[in-house]
Amino acid sequence: MKPSGIEMSEVSVRFDTPDGAVHAVESVTEHVPDGSFVSVVGPSGCGKSTLLAVISGLQRPSSGAVAIGGKTVTGPDPSIGVVFQEDSTLPWRTVEDNVRFAMQCNGVGKGEQRSRAREAIELVGLAGFENAYPTTLSGGMRQRVALARTLAVEPEVVLMDEPFAALDQQTRIFLGAEVRRIWERTGQTVVFVTHDLSEAILLSQQVWVMSYRPGRILEVVGVDLPAQRDPAIVSSHEFNELHNRIWSVLQAESMRGFQQQEAARA
Amino acid sequence: MTLRLTERAETVARQPVSRRRWLGKGATSAVATAVLIVVLGLIFQACSALGLWSEADVPAPSTVLAEFGRLLGTGEFWGDLGRTALEVLLSIVFGCTLGLFAGVLFWKLPRVGRAFEPYLVSFYAVPLVLFYPVMIVLVGINASSVVILASVMAMIPMALNTTVGLNGIPPVYLKLARSVGAGPRRILFSIALPAAGPFVLAGLRMGVVYSLIGAIAMEFTTAQAGLGYRIRYLYETFESEQMFGYIFAVLVLSCVITLSLQGVERVLSTGGRR
Repeated sequence: MKPSGIEMSEVSVRFDTPDGAVHAVESVTEHVPDGSFVSVVGPSGCGKSTLLAVISGLQRPSSGAVAIGGKTVTGPDPSIGVVFQEDSTLPWRTVEDNVRFAMQCNGVGKGEQRSRAREAIELVGLAGFENAYPTTLSGGMRQRVALARTLAVEPEVVLMDEPFAALDQQTRIFLGAEVRRIWERTGQTVVFVTHDLSEAILLSQQVWVMSYRPGRILEVVGVDLPAQRDPAIVSSHEFNELHNRIWSVLQAESMRGFQQQEAARA
Repeated sequence: MTLRLTERAETVARQPVSRRRWLGKGATSAVATAVLIVVLGLIFQACSALGLWSEADVPAPSTVLAEFGRLLGTGEFWGDLGRTALEVLLSIVFGCTLGLFAGVLFWKLPRVGRAFEPYLVSFYAVPLVLFYPVMIVLVGINASSVVILASVMAMIPMALNTTVGLNGIPPVYLKLARSVGAGPRRILFSIALPAAGPFVLAGLRMGVVYSLIGAIAMEFTTAQAGLGYRIRYLYETFESEQMFGYIFAVLVLSCVITLSLQGVERVLSTGGRR
């Protein structure tokens, strides 16, 4: 069988801090099937973002390994695209030049850059804003620019680290639906980190619940909802059942994390 | 200062083109600025005419202007101006280039930066002109000794500002650069320097000012030529009319340098596009 998707085996990440070692990620062995949409939820301060950084090649695991399509990740790679939580648009470049940036770094030809940039900008719904500067755009629009920049490189895997955390609720729901629509079109493998349960359920096929430190995957919940979803589904019985199930696991974990933080502070 | 720079860059971009008055906003304030200097000149002229001070101490603006006009026709003036302009220009180029390099180095090697920083910060406050006699002994009374010290004076604010700007880059820009596989050169020129741009420009601005002040002050103490030297010489020989003509020339030079710097800043901060 040809290896496919994202394969994590015994991935652990430890940081040395002045207060002792922190086990951000502990022995994570999971598989993200090729072309699937997986969300990772967990209490704040658990290793969600660290796990994502390891998959992206930005962070080396202390032990264990990640392989994408059978190839071990040793560092950043054009086949892995990342969308960050913070605003990562470059304010001195226009929308189109921002989208081109990642392609420029990967040696895509000039003419190709132009057509792919236009295509990606259109895909994220920013057509007409090619020559605008990010300072003139809203936070949600800037995240679309970042998304277009990632998509234009045509990566196999798209990693999103709480991309909508800084946005207001309406924009989040709207952009979430856009991400899902784009994923349905491109068929890329998506790992989406969030702390918003509803967002996770609404967008993905699987929700991974992560524990507070040391970060382990406590439960993998399959989202058995119709492929065509609209935000109204949040009021359905199935959605609520999933929500309650994930929340019951998460609640205990959040409480444990909260108590540990309090204890550390005392 | 840096804030103002970015704000200005934005206002330039956002100014609506369609609004039409008999003069644009920029032109109106330029006219107002010109009116101010004319009014100041008239006040001085009136005071001289009323005999508030003697023509021998402070000549009337009309006399100074006439003298300035006469100077423009003398070879000596152009010789002095050429010398000073060359010194200032070389100091700006050397000082700011070295400062930029040093700033980038201190950012790339934070340990080195932390070791040097206290010295740079305190050198800021040292009137470096004091080392001019040492420089004369080492290099001789010539343009080189002036250029060397003025370059050092320009380098310090440039290096400090560049370091501060580079250290203040949002970390996500560098994360982005790494994740898309940007090489070190691209990170420096496409991410780091543009992101630190407003600080680098502020450093450049101070570097230019320090070069000018340094060069003229050193000429003023000891030199064989240059505007600063000439002013000192005329002062000692009680030729106050000519001296004020030269002082006026220095003021004009400062304005020319500042205005051309603003032009350079505009091009740099917009990439020459807007």
